[in-house]
Formats: sequence, C-alpha cells, structure tokens
Amino acid sequence: MIVGIVGVPPWETMQDYLRRGAKIIDLDEPVNGFPVRDIYLPATFCRVLKRVVSNIYSLHEAGRLDMVLATVGECKCDGMRNIALRIRATSGIPIETVKNDNMVGAGYPVCRSSLPPARKMELIVSSVFAPLPRDVIVEECEPVCGFWGVPPADFSIMSLFPDRTHIYGWTRCMENKTPADLDLECVVDPGVPTVFFAQSFCQKNALAYNLAKEHGGLFVEVDKALTRSARAKIEAFLQFNIPGGGTL
Amino acid sequence: MNSERLLVDAGTSYTKILRLGSGERSILRAKDAKTLLADKNVVAATGHLIPGGEMLKVNELVALAEGGMALIGEPDFTLLDCGARDVKYVKVSGRRVVGMDWNTECGAFTGQVIELLARYFEVDPTAVPRGVEKIPVVCGVLGMTNMFDLISQGVTHETAFGRFLRGIAFNCERLVGRPGKIFLSGGLCENAPFLESFSCEAVPLGRHVLLEGLKRIYERENGA
Repeated sequence: MIVGIVGVPPWETMQDYLRRGAKIIDLDEPVNGFPVRDIYLPATFCRVLKRVVSNIYSLHEAGRLDMVLATVGECKCDGMRNIALRIRATSGIPIETVKNDNMVGAGYPVCRSSLPPARKMELIVSSVFAPLPRDVIVEECEPVCGFWGVPPADFSIMSLFPDRTHIYGWTRCMENKTPADLDLECVVDPGVPTVFFAQSFCQKNALAYNLAKEHGGLFVEVDKALTRSARAKIEAFLQFNIPGGGTL
Repeated sequence: MNSERLLVDAGTSYTKILRLGSGERSILRAKDAKTLLADKNVVAATGHLIPGGEMLKVNELVALAEGGMALIGEPDFTLLDCGARDVKYVKVSGRRVVGMDWNTECGAFTGQVIELLARYFEVDPTAVPRGVEKIPVVCGVLGMTNMFDLISQGVTHETAFGRFLRGIAFNCERLVGRPGKIFLSGGLCENAPFLESFSCEAVPLGRHVLLEGLKRIYERENGA
C-alpha cells in the first residue's frame, strides 16, 4: 500500500503504517514526471497545497497512491482541512485526516547546524517519517543569519543563504516533531539578521510580516518560483546585514 | 571594442549610462540598449536588465544605498527609487543601512503605469490639479478601475489622474514607513504632479542615483 502524507502526521501513526508494510511518500514534495496541474484550486491559493492536490489526483490516477494521510488542525494551515473535505466528498480516494498536537520536542539540531541551508531543508523534509541518515554529521554553529518559514515550494531560495544560516519557524517545528507549537514557531534569535519567508496566499504571512517588523528582518513572500527581484532583495539584505558582507 | 569605460544602470524601460572619462551621462531606451552597447566597454552594471559578460555587477538596492550616501549629506534619510516596474527603498540611520524593501511582485505604483496612463489619456501635466483626494490603489488594475469609475461619473481625466497619483504617492509613503521627508530617485523625479502628490517633503535626486552608487563602488573596487 502506498500512503501519501500531507504535512507532518503523528510519528506513531506513520510508523504504524510502515510496520504494516506501507510505503510512505510526501505529497508536499514535487514528484518526477507529475507536473502540477493547476485546475483544482483558485488561482490565488497556496502553491504548496496546489502541488499537494495535484499530486493526489495524478498519483491516484496512475495507480501510485492508495490513500492519503492528511494533517488538519493547528499543526497545519486550515487549507488542508477544507481540501480534504472536498476530496472525500467528490472522489473515491481514501483520505484519513489526523491532527498532530505533539508538544514533546525531539530537538532541532539540523536547523542550528553548519550544514548548507539547502541540504538542511532536504534533510528536515525527508525526516518527517524516517530518521536522519546515519552518515549525516550535524555540528551546531553560531548563526550568521536566519531563514524563518515553511519549506518553500521553490527550494532554490535556500541557495541564496550562506552556510551557518539557522532555520526557524515552522520548518524548525517540523524537525522538532511539534508542528502545532506556535510558540516555537515564533522564536528567532535577536540580533541575527533573518529573512521571514511565506508562500503567497498562506496564512503564515501574518506571522512573517509582523515578526519581520518586530525583529528588523526582511519579509518575503513568493508564489511559484523565486523571481529575480525577490532574489535581489534577499541578496541585498544579506549583503547589508552580514558582518563583512556589506559594502557600506 | 571601444575602450571608453562605461557604467550602466539597465532599467526595465530605460538604460542610464555614465562615461567614466568625461563624466557625461546619457539615457537610452532599454529596447535599443543591448544593440547600442554591444561593442562598448561596460565595466560595471546594475539594474533589472543587467547585461551579460565580464564586468562588475552590483545589486540595485546596494547601488541605491551607495548613491544615497554619495548624494545626501544627512546622517539619517529615506531614499525611494520609483522605477518603471518596481519600487524599492533604503532607510539609513547614522550613515548605516537599517532598513530596505522592494515591491517585487506587483507594479501597482510604478513609473510604467503612470507613464502609460498619461500617454493613453494625453494628460497635460500642468492641468493635473494638486491637493485632490486620493483614490485607493490596492493594485494597478484596481486603481485604474477606480479611476475609470470617476471618469464615468463626470470627473475630468486630469482630476481622476491626479487622484490616482495621490493614491500611488500614499502607497509609496506607507511602504517606507511614512517619514517626514523622502528623497526620490528614478524617472518619476521629473514628474511634477507626482512629486506634489506626497503629503510629506519629497526631494527629487534625479534619474542617476544608482549610477552614482555604481561609480562609488567601482572606484572603491578599483582603488580610485
């Protein structure tokens, strides 16, 4: 059985499926050979959830998805709760909705490590239902800057950040296995120049916008792919704010 | 290749050029610039349409901040660049950049929209009334819809355009945090009705602020 997960379902639930021989795939991630069909949701909607819904229908049609394990509730934005309702009502795709209210932290060493930021993001996303690979060496470092937010639809944004970038926000909650921990989500290190990122049309924009104002960071929202202007804005912010990286 | 060294600010609509030897400045339409600059010695560039090839390439916001440092003597200032396709600013305190932003997605309050509307309606800038009430310009399209509504209600084109400009100036002020004084950069510095649409003091610095910043950076990099 192939189970597609959305968000961060409870660890034990996923392990139970794995013990029963299921294969788990992450529906938030791009799937090779299955481009996003932008026909299921309004134009002005979160790019990640558009990908999730497209993956659900495409993979199910192709016989590569048997059921969906979708997080709804405070551990996820409210979008998936509404989407799950409609998928259940209008398609034959089995969908199990779960809430992940776990508040027992597993730690977030990857977020605070010196690994390249893109590698960190890949590790965190792929560790939702599996432990970190044993050969990964995670060493804590002092941050030179920060990335706050959810895993972006376009991972290329992470290539703009230098090594020793700490990761905050919901991505940190993901690694900590506490996706509903709003307090942890709002934690940043004062004085660390931080880019507050949210997907366009995501409710997390309310946090990103206000946290950026509170901490003197940079608020950035991106829809599909990183635009040249958004890229230049982040580059300039890092250049101005990282010691030794500025020109003024 | 011509050996004269050029600095280039390659904007979306216009390309601004500074000849390092003579200090002469010129402006080309962006659509012509690629051909006209093909055999020229461009040693440094900034801007949205930054050319390829070997040269010093500088981020627009960095060039803007450096240009502000070169042209403004005050320790604290807010400098807003109104370009054809976007608006960006730097906020400086104690001669250090402490804030910046860039409206990267939407050209709602940019020079291109203003230029297009002025041309489309053949608006006489001197006939645009000052001090009129603003209309909300949530985005360029919605702003234009409001403007067309006013015209359909019998308001003159010049007045509707003036109210649209006031809405754009309001957005600009809000973007930069509503300071008492804003230094302006970009083509809209030459648009008198726009300058007079600000509710705070607006000081135009002209179209070559980024070039001034680029020059400063180039000279520093090359030990001048």
